[in-house]
Amino acid sequence: MHLLLVGLSHRTAPVELRERVDFQGRLEPALRALAARGSAQEAVVLSTCNRAELYAACEDVAAARADLAAFVAEFHGVDRSAVAPHVYDLEDLDAARHLFRVSAGLDSLVVGEPQILGQVKEAHTAATGVQTVGPVLNRLFHSCFAVGKRVRSETGLGSGAVSVGYAAVALARKIFGDLKGRTVLVIGAGEMGKLTALHLKSQGVQHVTIVSRTLAHAARTAVAIGGASAAPWEELDALLAASDIVITATGAATPILTRAHVEAVVRPPRNRPLFIIDIAVPRDVEPAAGELEQVFLYNIDDLQATVRDNLARRVNEIDRAEAIVSEEVGKFGAWFKSRGVIPTVVALRQRLETIRLSELERLDFKLRALPPEARARVDEITHLIVEKILLTPTEQLKGLGDTETAAVYSEVLTRLFGLGDATDRDSSEATPPADATADPEGRVQPFIRPKARPTRSGR
Amino acid sequence: MNFAPLALYVAAFLAYAWHFSERQPAVGRSATALLVFGALAHTFVIGMQTMEVGHLPVNGPTSAISTFVWLLALAYLYIEITTEERAMGVFILPLLVLQVIPAFQPGVEPPSAVLQGPFFSLHVSSLLLAYASFALAFVIGITYVLLFKEIKAKHLGFFYARLPSLQVLDRMNQRAVVFGWVCLTIGLIVGVVWAGQYPSGDPRVQAMSLRDPKIFVAVVCWVVYSFELFAARRIGWGGRRTAYLSAVGFSIVLLNFVPISYLLRGSHSF
Repeated sequence: MHLLLVGLSHRTAPVELRERVDFQGRLEPALRALAARGSAQEAVVLSTCNRAELYAACEDVAAARADLAAFVAEFHGVDRSAVAPHVYDLEDLDAARHLFRVSAGLDSLVVGEPQILGQVKEAHTAATGVQTVGPVLNRLFHSCFAVGKRVRSETGLGSGAVSVGYAAVALARKIFGDLKGRTVLVIGAGEMGKLTALHLKSQGVQHVTIVSRTLAHAARTAVAIGGASAAPWEELDALLAASDIVITATGAATPILTRAHVEAVVRPPRNRPLFIIDIAVPRDVEPAAGELEQVFLYNIDDLQATVRDNLARRVNEIDRAEAIVSEEVGKFGAWFKSRGVIPTVVALRQRLETIRLSELERLDFKLRALPPEARARVDEITHLIVEKILLTPTEQLKGLGDTETAAVYSEVLTRLFGLGDATDRDSSEATPPADATADPEGRVQPFIRPKARPTRSGR
Repeated sequence: MNFAPLALYVAAFLAYAWHFSERQPAVGRSATALLVFGALAHTFVIGMQTMEVGHLPVNGPTSAISTFVWLLALAYLYIEITTEERAMGVFILPLLVLQVIPAFQPGVEPPSAVLQGPFFSLHVSSLLLAYASFALAFVIGITYVLLFKEIKAKHLGFFYARLPSLQVLDRMNQRAVVFGWVCLTIGLIVGVVWAGQYPSGDPRVQAMSLRDPKIFVAVVCWVVYSFELFAARRIGWGGRRTAYLSAVGFSIVLLNFVPISYLLRGSHSF
C-alpha cells in the first residue's frame, strides 16, 4: 500500500485555475466519484481557496497518479492539458510530510494562518462520512491534526495577527478580553471601516453603529455589515461616550476627533478604556489624544507595523515548526513502513502456530497419559517457545528502515518458511502430519522436558 | 518550616519561568503540578504544626509568614485553575520563595498566654488572608502595568503575547483587593474588640494604640485600599492607577511583615 498525493496549490497554479478546480462544498460527491473509479483504496479530498489536493492510499502508484490527475480535470470539466502542468504529486512519506506542513500552516500563503487546520479536519470528516477513509489515511490525518496542534501550542508560528483587520481585533481582545457586549462605533461609511467592523462583528461584538456625514451612506454600510445601525452625525458625541471601540475612516482633511474631544468622552466617572482605531489617511484623530489615560490610539501605520512584526516573528518560528513536522513524519514513517511487513509477520506467526498445534495433535496419544496440569504446561511451554523464536525477527522486521529492504526480507521469509500459499499448507498440515515426520521426531524432547518441570517445582 | 515545600516552590518557580518564556504546555502543566505538590507538602507541615499547638501556627512572625505563603499559594492555585491562566505564576512564585526563606526556622514559637481563644485565630487568620489577597493584587497590578505600557507604546512584544487581556487583569485585581479589604476590615475590627475585652492586666495589651507600628501600618493599609476601591468606583480611576495603588498598598503590607516584625519590637510582638 502506498500513499499518494496529487494536487495543485497557490504555489503551482494561478488563481483562475484554482477557482475552476475548487472542491469546496462538493467534497462528498467528489469522494464518491473518486471511490467509484477504483484506482485508490482510500481517498481524502482537501480543498481550500489556495489548494485542491487528493490524498489516496493505493497499490499501484503509477496508475493512481494518472487517474487522480485525470479525475481533477474530469470532475470539473476542465481540459486535462490545462491542469496537468500545474499538478504536483508526492508519494509515501513525502506526501505525509506535505500534509503535515499544510496542516501546520507552513505551506499556506500567509505562513501560520489558522484556518487550514479546520479545513483539513473538514476534509477528513467528509471522507469519513462517505467511508473513503481506511486505516492508512486515518492514521495519516490523525497524525497531521497532532502536528497542527503541536505547532500551534509549541511554536509562535500561528501567533500574532497578520492583517490589519485581525491586528485591530487582536488588540481589542487584549484590551477588553471578551468582545461580546462591547460597543463599536464606526465613523465614516467607507470600505476600510466596514471591513474592520466586520472583523470585530465576527468576534462577537453585538452593537455596531455607523455614523457618517451623510446618513444614507451610513445606513447603506450598516446594511452591508448586517445587524448594524446607522446614526446621524449630530449624535456623534453621545455615541462616542457609549462606545468601547471607535473606528475612524473618513476622508476628512483635518482631524475630526481632537484631544479635547476625546478627553471629554473619557472623563470620569467613565473608567473603561477607549480603543480608537484610526485607519484614515490623512488621520482622523489628533495623535495627542493617545496620550490620555485609558485611551489606546492606533493608526493604520501602527497596525501595519504590528503586522510586519508578527510576520517577521512567524518567519523566526518556521524552523521550530519544521522540526516538529520532521519528528512527526518520523513517527508516522515508522508506523507506515512497519505496515508493509505486517502481513509477513502475521503469516510467519500463523505458520509457526500451525506447526506447533499440529505437532501437539500428532503427539496427542503420548500426551494423553499425562495429568491435565502437565498437558496444560506442555501447551504453555510450546507456545512460549514459538513466541520467543518470533520475538527478535518481528522486532527486526518492524524496525526496517526502508520499504525496499522490507520487501526483500518479506520475500526471503516467504521463501524460507513457505508462507506464499499459507492457506493450502495450513489445511494440509493440520490434518495429516505426514511430511517432515522423520525430522521433527526429535521434537519429542519438549514432551520430556515438561515432565522434568513438575518434579523441579515439586522439590 | 520544612525543606520540602521550599524546594518544591523553587522548582515550580523555575518551571513557571521556563513556561513563560517558551510557552510549552507540558512545562506549564508540570509547573502547576510542582506547585500543587509544594502546597500539599506545605499543608502537611502546617497541619503537623497545628496538631502540635492546637491552632493554626500564626503566632510569631516565622510561622505567620509560613501560613501567609501557604494561603497565597492556595489563592494563586485557585485563580490559576479557575482562569486557566498560568502567566501569573512566574510573578507570584518569587514572592512565595522570598517569603518562605526567612521563615526557615524549625518548629513553632511557643504561644504566649495572651494569644489564646477564638478571637486571636480570627484576628490573625483574616489578616493573613487579607495580606495574601493583597499580594495577589500586587502581582496582578504589576502585570497590568507591564501590559498597559506595551499596548500604549504600540510596542507589542513579550508580555503582549503572554498575558491575558487588560480587562481580565483589572477584574482579577479588583476581586483580590475587594476580598483582601473585607478580610482586613474584619481582622482590624476583631482586633479592636478583642483588645477592648481583654482583662486589662497585660501591659502589652494596654499599650496598643495607633502609635504601635504594626497597628499603624495596618490602618494605613486599610486607608490605601479603601481609597483604591473608592477611586475605582466613584472617581473612575481605571486600570493603571488602581494597579499602582495595589503596588503601594502591598509594599506597606510587606513593611509590616519583614522589617517591623523582625526589627522593631513594638507592643505587637508576642
